[in-house]
Amino acid sequence: MAAADELAFHEFEEATNLLAETPDVTTISRSDPRTPEGQVAVAVGSGGGYGAEDEVESDKTALLQEPQPQPGFWTFSYYQSFFDVDTSQVLDRIKGSLLPRPGHSFVRHHLRNRPDLYGPFWICATLAFVLAVTGNLTVVLAQRRDPSIHYSPQFHKVTVAGITIYCYAWLVPLALWAFLQWRKGVRERMGPYTFLETVCFYGYSLFIFIPTVVLWLIPVPWLQWLFGALALALSAAGLVFTLWPIVREDTRLVASMLLSAVVLLHALLAMGCKFYFFQPLPLEHMAPAHQDTSLHPNVVLTPTPPRPMITEGLRLQV
Amino acid sequence: MFVWGESEGELGINFDHIWQKTLTVLNPLKPADGSIMNETDLAGPILFCVALGATLLLAGKVQFGYIYGMSGIGCLGIYALLNLMSSSGVSYGCVASVLGYCLLPMVILSGSAVFFSLQGMIGTVLALVIIVWCSLSASKIFISALDMEGQQLLVAYPCALLYGLFALLTVF
Repeated sequence: MAAADELAFHEFEEATNLLAETPDVTTISRSDPRTPEGQVAVAVGSGGGYGAEDEVESDKTALLQEPQPQPGFWTFSYYQSFFDVDTSQVLDRIKGSLLPRPGHSFVRHHLRNRPDLYGPFWICATLAFVLAVTGNLTVVLAQRRDPSIHYSPQFHKVTVAGITIYCYAWLVPLALWAFLQWRKGVRERMGPYTFLETVCFYGYSLFIFIPTVVLWLIPVPWLQWLFGALALALSAAGLVFTLWPIVREDTRLVASMLLSAVVLLHALLAMGCKFYFFQPLPLEHMAPAHQDTSLHPNVVLTPTPPRPMITEGLRLQV
Repeated sequence: MFVWGESEGELGINFDHIWQKTLTVLNPLKPADGSIMNETDLAGPILFCVALGATLLLAGKVQFGYIYGMSGIGCLGIYALLNLMSSSGVSYGCVASVLGYCLLPMVILSGSAVFFSLQGMIGTVLALVIIVWCSLSASKIFISALDMEGQQLLVAYPCALLYGLFALLTVF
């Protein structure tokens, strides 16, 4: 049984090399509910009892094209196939998302039509965790420099971060996938990506924000904006290059609108995170004055310059 | 010693196995024997959880509820992930047992918090080292017990997040 597994695994390796050599080959994901052929070999490799001996004798191309009945999406084993990745594969996909190259679609080149859910899930979890932790740490570090700032651990930021990131990583790909499916009639040559591939490349594109958020701890505003812009540029470029083969056959209006909507949503996410988790610190200065005196609550929240507020606080205390 | 041996047999606790597992955790670089996880015992893990709570109490933080809550939910998460990633399934008791044993270095961390505050550079570095130690041990045992090759870092990462939460509880 072990020898049969080994042989089945090697055949799959050769198949992926074939795919890599001919990147334009049409091993595309069809729009029917069955997952692409690449995953057939995954199921065969991992579950040795599924007639592995039969697959060994069959041809390489037959291995790629043979349809197998897929378990329904409500069963556990359906999701098992999406977690069958190695450390090296995940690291390779992360590297691919960090360095987008024009003409190389992330899905074709790195995913090879085998999306995984491990990467997106843990990247989103890490990003939410890091956002909450660094959001709290900025206030702690500011307090070390200036003892007048009041700090209390804000655990609700973890929940806010988690909900925002996960909603973005699932709902935006859903909308994008639905839109591309609707426009499918216009394209003849290439089918759209499956929903899970869309989720997958969106999840991996969020990876660059993790080191960016850590670097946002440095309290130099122009440096923060620089890092944010860099991360946004790399991430959005990755998304655009991945979507370009699908979208270029559509009308120019629709293509440009779609790509600019994708980039805009990404930018909104980045800026929203920056403003919510890394609030400009002058607001913190106003907090003690507000608690001592009974100022109108709107006074603290409007982004007015701090000087009038502090003199008002001082005047009322006197 | 004769009486002690009798009570050990009666209670069903195998002290030799507990000691072996503890040694495996304490030395994360030595490859683990896959068969030690064949029996799931929760005596060791519960002992380590209580020890963690006790050392946190000594440092002035009463957080038993958080410890039990986080360990329960964390175990559930790791259990789901391991069932998805491995070809053979894994039972919840086995996951809880391994994660509980690998909590031992965290007890060391919270013990040291009694003697000096961990909120400086030394504390941060020590916490990071302990997190890496815990997650490497846990992933090593899971990999050898479930025969998942080439996925050690993928299993270690969620364990590191879980132990990171425990470390945050200890440090702050």
